Amino acid sequence: MFIKNSLFIIFVFFLSASNAKELTYVELPSGEETEIRVFPAKGDILVIGFACDNGKSKHEEDTAQSLADDGIEVWMPDMLGTYMLPKSRSSYAEIPSEDLTHIIYEAISTKKDVYLVASGPDTQLLLRAASQWKKSYSDYQDLKGGILLFPRLNDGAPEPGVEPKYVESVGTTGIPLMLLEGGRTPDRWSVNHLTQKLGASGSSVVSKIVPGIRGYFFKRADPNRIEDVVTSQLSGLIKVSLFYLQELKK
Amino acid sequence: MMKNSVAKKTLLALLLITTGIAQAASLKPYSGKINNPQVQLQDLSGNVHTLEQYKGQVMLVQFWATYCPPCVKEMPSMNKLQDKLAKAGVAFKILAIDMAESKAEVEAFVKRIKPEFTILMDESGSSIQAWNVFAAPSNFLINKQGEIAYTLFGGVEWDSAEIIETITQLSQQ
Repeated sequence: MFIKNSLFIIFVFFLSASNAKELTYVELPSGEETEIRVFPAKGDILVIGFACDNGKSKHEEDTAQSLADDGIEVWMPDMLGTYMLPKSRSSYAEIPSEDLTHIIYEAISTKKDVYLVASGPDTQLLLRAASQWKKSYSDYQDLKGGILLFPRLNDGAPEPGVEPKYVESVGTTGIPLMLLEGGRTPDRWSVNHLTQKLGASGSSVVSKIVPGIRGYFFKRADPNRIEDVVTSQLSGLIKVSLFYLQELKK
Repeated sequence: MMKNSVAKKTLLALLLITTGIAQAASLKPYSGKINNPQVQLQDLSGNVHTLEQYKGQVMLVQFWATYCPPCVKEMPSMNKLQDKLAKAGVAFKILAIDMAESKAEVEAFVKRIKPEFTILMDESGSSIQAWNVFAAPSNFLINKQGEIAYTLFGGVEWDSAEIIETITQLSQQ
């Protein structure tokens, strides 16, 4: 019995060790060095998560680890810490686009299929990175797609009775995009409009509403039962999104 | 020098915050393209309400949801606004359109928060889309001719002197 338990513990240890988070450092064109949390995996898909709060988001690392356990490698560059920027929307503008595309370039150099993922206002960074990538590389389709989780892409405050205005990078990426939005947020009513605008430069865009959840549910202190379940299954949502994006490419 | 710079930045930040709040609380003249707004929705008792039936009154058409904290917070001030305008003899009607939630959810909410104005149900979301509503609360102030005169996004104290003055002026045009 003791030997059996010990073997099991050693087996779990090796399993965990094989997927443990690693830190890697990449020198960027701006001269800064960025720290990337890497959740290595042996599969042929690599997801770059432009998370801007360095692990403070609820379940951020659990989600990355779960994806890695399923063979999807995850890179999480510390985009705010690199430039010593505070967590605020205005900080995103301070991040040079060339630095973002350099991280994509490094990821594509691994020969894996690279996808981008971001949530909330961080999706602005994702689109700017993809847009700059398209401008800079003729083989821009090497970047396989982007997943926008509950995106917040409005340029300025919404105006009742007027179509929303979006940040400049909306509709300029050319890559396949998957958009997920909560059912219990007013933003669900702009999903059709946003989907149409995102596709302006030839991107195929799929959008889905996740019923029963509010905006920013995964950062709320008062999640309801459905939100708790969906938060714990964020990696599942990302995997489903990857499936859709792969289908779009066919 | 350093202290001066910090003080300047703090002042600027405070100014921006103050301006932001002031803007959020202001009615804006409507500049959108909806010329002939329509509503045909049921209240919680099943009675149909249209804008046409309240023509000649100033109307506040609000799009809200039970999950929207500013919507909930401002409801008592909407009750007060209605009271104050009634006492002043201003013909005024509030139609608060719930954004596609279930009747059971809204009924439970009404029991708890006790809004004293008309709540309409738009379970299909057809009005939300027709009125170009993408955020909550989205407010439309309709003049006596049935046109959108002002809009306001976000929560606000509806019984403020400034808003009562604007509605009173609209009722006299």
